[in-house]
Amino acid sequence: MVDRWLRREDERLLTGRGRFVADLRVPGCLDAVFVRSEVAHGTLREADCSAAREVPGVAGAWSAADLPDLPPMPDAPGVEGREWPALVKDRVRYPGEALAVVLGDDRYRAEDGAARVRVRVDPLPAVVTAEEAAGDEVRLFEGRSNVALRGEAGRPIGDEVWERAAVVVESRYRQQLLMPSPMECRTILCVPEGERLTVWSGHQAPHRLRHDLAGLLDRPEESIRVVVPDTGGAFGSKSAVFPEFIAVAWLAVRLGRPVRWVEDRRESLLVATRGRGQDQQVRLAADADGRLLAYELTVEADVGAYPHLGVAFPMQTAWMATGPYTTPEVHATVRSVLTNTMITYPYRGAGRPEATSPLERTMDVLAKRLDLDPADLRRRNLIPPDRFPYRTPTGRTYDSGDHPAALDLALRTLGYHGWRAEQARRRADPAALPVGIGLSCYVERSGGERGSVHDYVGVEAGEDGTVVARCGAASSGQSHATVFPALVAETLGVEPARVRLIEGDTDELPGGVGSFGSRSAQIDGAGLQHAATLLIEEARERAARMWDLPIEETAWSDGVVHPVRGTAAMGLSELVKRTGPLRIDERYEADMAFPFGAHAAVVEVDPDLGTVRVLQIVAVDDCGRALDPAVVRGQQFGSIVQGLGQALYEGVPFGDDGVPLLGYGLLDYLLPTYAEIPPIDLEETRTPTPRTPLGAKGAGESGCIGTPPAIVNAVADALRLDHPERLQMPLSPDVVWRAAA
Amino acid sequence: MKPAAFDYLAPRTVAEALDALAAGAQVLAGGQSLLLEMHLQRVHPDLVADINRIPGLDALTVSDGTLTVGALVRHRAFASPGAVPGPLGDLFGRAVGYIAHPPIRTRGTMAGSLAWAHPASEWCALAVALDAVVELRSTRGTREVPAGEYFRGPFQTAREPDELLTAVRYPLLAPDTGVAFTEHRRTGFSFAQVAVGAALTTRDGVITEARIGLANCADRPLRAHAAERALVGAEVSSWAFAAAGETAAEQDAAPVPEPYADVDYRRQVIAVLVARTLREAVPV
Repeated sequence: MVDRWLRREDERLLTGRGRFVADLRVPGCLDAVFVRSEVAHGTLREADCSAAREVPGVAGAWSAADLPDLPPMPDAPGVEGREWPALVKDRVRYPGEALAVVLGDDRYRAEDGAARVRVRVDPLPAVVTAEEAAGDEVRLFEGRSNVALRGEAGRPIGDEVWERAAVVVESRYRQQLLMPSPMECRTILCVPEGERLTVWSGHQAPHRLRHDLAGLLDRPEESIRVVVPDTGGAFGSKSAVFPEFIAVAWLAVRLGRPVRWVEDRRESLLVATRGRGQDQQVRLAADADGRLLAYELTVEADVGAYPHLGVAFPMQTAWMATGPYTTPEVHATVRSVLTNTMITYPYRGAGRPEATSPLERTMDVLAKRLDLDPADLRRRNLIPPDRFPYRTPTGRTYDSGDHPAALDLALRTLGYHGWRAEQARRRADPAALPVGIGLSCYVERSGGERGSVHDYVGVEAGEDGTVVARCGAASSGQSHATVFPALVAETLGVEPARVRLIEGDTDELPGGVGSFGSRSAQIDGAGLQHAATLLIEEARERAARMWDLPIEETAWSDGVVHPVRGTAAMGLSELVKRTGPLRIDERYEADMAFPFGAHAAVVEVDPDLGTVRVLQIVAVDDCGRALDPAVVRGQQFGSIVQGLGQALYEGVPFGDDGVPLLGYGLLDYLLPTYAEIPPIDLEETRTPTPRTPLGAKGAGESGCIGTPPAIVNAVADALRLDHPERLQMPLSPDVVWRAAA
Repeated sequence: MKPAAFDYLAPRTVAEALDALAAGAQVLAGGQSLLLEMHLQRVHPDLVADINRIPGLDALTVSDGTLTVGALVRHRAFASPGAVPGPLGDLFGRAVGYIAHPPIRTRGTMAGSLAWAHPASEWCALAVALDAVVELRSTRGTREVPAGEYFRGPFQTAREPDELLTAVRYPLLAPDTGVAFTEHRRTGFSFAQVAVGAALTTRDGVITEARIGLANCADRPLRAHAAERALVGAEVSSWAFAAAGETAAEQDAAPVPEPYADVDYRRQVIAVLVARTLREAVPV
């Protein structure tokens, strides 16, 4: 049993034998360094690379003017007339946007060259919030509005609903910009060899990257091989093609030499994709008994300087606005607004934290108005287990769930009544620091949107008795090499050690979608189980023919096919030797699923300093069937810590010039470290999705979604705030002190 | 980011180091600030003089009531009980745990902190509060500068570019001195938003001497003279400490705004921390 839960990756990674893109040794490889704009918004007057080319060890240096054929970013919906060049041509639209690229024999020499590139950008006024930008006083694209997209989910709610309600709570919230902050920043290494181009990249979607690069370089997809080696995290930030990737791939092909770009932390904080970035306004109506009548959410989304990638993602927030409640009327509207910041893009949670946070915070305000226990208010409104599948007013059909069970388990695990008693005791003692208890119930969507909830899966039996599993997922640290072979082995009834996984290499797979949106266990896992089942069927058919029996007279157990009656038996190895190659290749189609749960937090606040000490976090998450409990716990834990980061620490402050004030990197952008991690109790309920035989739902994003509002609610509870709007994340001590004052 | 090209020299004597400094070298001791700045390409030394191989600079000695801290004494040396006698050692021991994190405390040096002069530095605040004296040597000679005159602004000191900060000297604190150190910061590893070190002596419930050092309460480390004056002669009381906190915040401090800590908030934290530090420092 122990073997099954031992991660296969651990020994290699923990003994320094991992191989990331930066570790690959390629003779004659050039390192790329980008000269970046120190101005957020401006007109490019000059980018002169001539001095850089004289630096010893520099192989070349180019601005956009030197590379007239360099293709721009691929088109995306909503992008017409708003081209995103790989290198700035005439207008800088976000700080750090690449003005020139320098290639050197190593990174040191390339940086020496980059320091010699002469650039001049005349600044323009910069707009860094959606509110500022929506007025179009400063336009990012001449003749075009900064408002790039409008959308809605649900139907408008009539005035009479608000007028009739016993209580209407209105509030505004900010979901601040966050940096996904994987340990390894973005990487790409392009190696041209004859007609082929091999691309190594820490990436979530190798086939998508191949497709995009083939289009950009105007060559057949088959001429490109994309390989994903060990990858140090992604959290959504590594699923696209980026301007730097285009410059690197294009120069590698043009020069006929390997070229590598390894983004460093300082670049990453300037130009990696950001998450969240929404200004929200809500109205929540309830009757006197606390039954929810209507909920309205208005989102102003900051989508960054170019509408290419993240422009439609705020719709995820609109579709999920209903949350886990039976609210009969829900209406959400979205405006995506361009600003002078690097683009907003999916970051762990991707639209669902932004949906959960305003609703759950407003639920606590409503409870206070109605003088109800926040747990009771939620219980009165949670979707009952017998109402699934449940169609929401915002267009989702939730597959399954038992929300009251998750909430009750969270309260029990927390010792809810005990903490309420402690809270009362401290409120009676003027010397004691106040404690607060915060709850958050959530439902999220995993697997992806319709049209993308499929993947390539395959299982192949070898003559030597081994089994190869293949799938279109790409691990950036989620232990696929452990989990998927174990699942296939369990399905086939063989030892896990006999099964190995191949993924993340476009030459080894006929297709693939990738790993994002908590889809891998749910889609690829279900697909691999399905493929293994098909392999068993095929083995039985072959055996039936060999033994001249009807297929019903054959059976499969423990990796061996045998006649129902009699003692003959044949293992996979023997079967392949006798009957030829045995390989299943499938395009497995599934459906989205809706993981859910309840989180609770207890905090102690020092009102004089505004400091928040998290005393306990409880997370009850339901991801259906957990394929590997240890790996799922790792996902829960990590995403809770990232949720803690959004609640208390992380944010991107801007100077008046629109440039982020993050000059000292992670000393300025504060990620929670082990010193900040409170006691965390992880629990689970198990409601398998009925949409696949496997029953797994996504597990990776729960903490980012459930934890932040639980913590903020706890702080508001500790301070007994009537105006929780003053608590906007991150709850840095100055924010809490002001709210307490 | 990678540093620009530079030459590296590892002198074996102070004299060799001073020659290198006269030729424009920057000093590498613990490297915890210099190397980061070089990687960020904020400093571009042509020559780096690594003083780690000079014998004797790591000495920590006490004689005639004075503690002398050599240029290579690492932060973590002060975490050992008894490394420095009496209340001064107690105060250093309380402060050292707030300095960055264990790997930095293993490499970084107290003298390096004083040479770098970050406004949030714990050691710099204590140096001004405790009347430390900084020893500066160059090929031109040796001079001693009181800490109160040494700090000139953020990362600015009285040290000339060709001078090596060879030692810091502190008068020991009297055995009946009470000490405390508190710090406010956003995460366990971030810089202090405010840090306060205090040393108090009392007689019959009346404060006879007070020393208060403030980190990150201005563009340089401060000694809270006004608050100290208000305390001397006052009876030990929460009220007196709260008043001293207000005085330190309003009169001594000159807070600079930064993200997540504007001037109003900084003054609030200074007032609270000074009062709390003083309460904790009351000798038992």
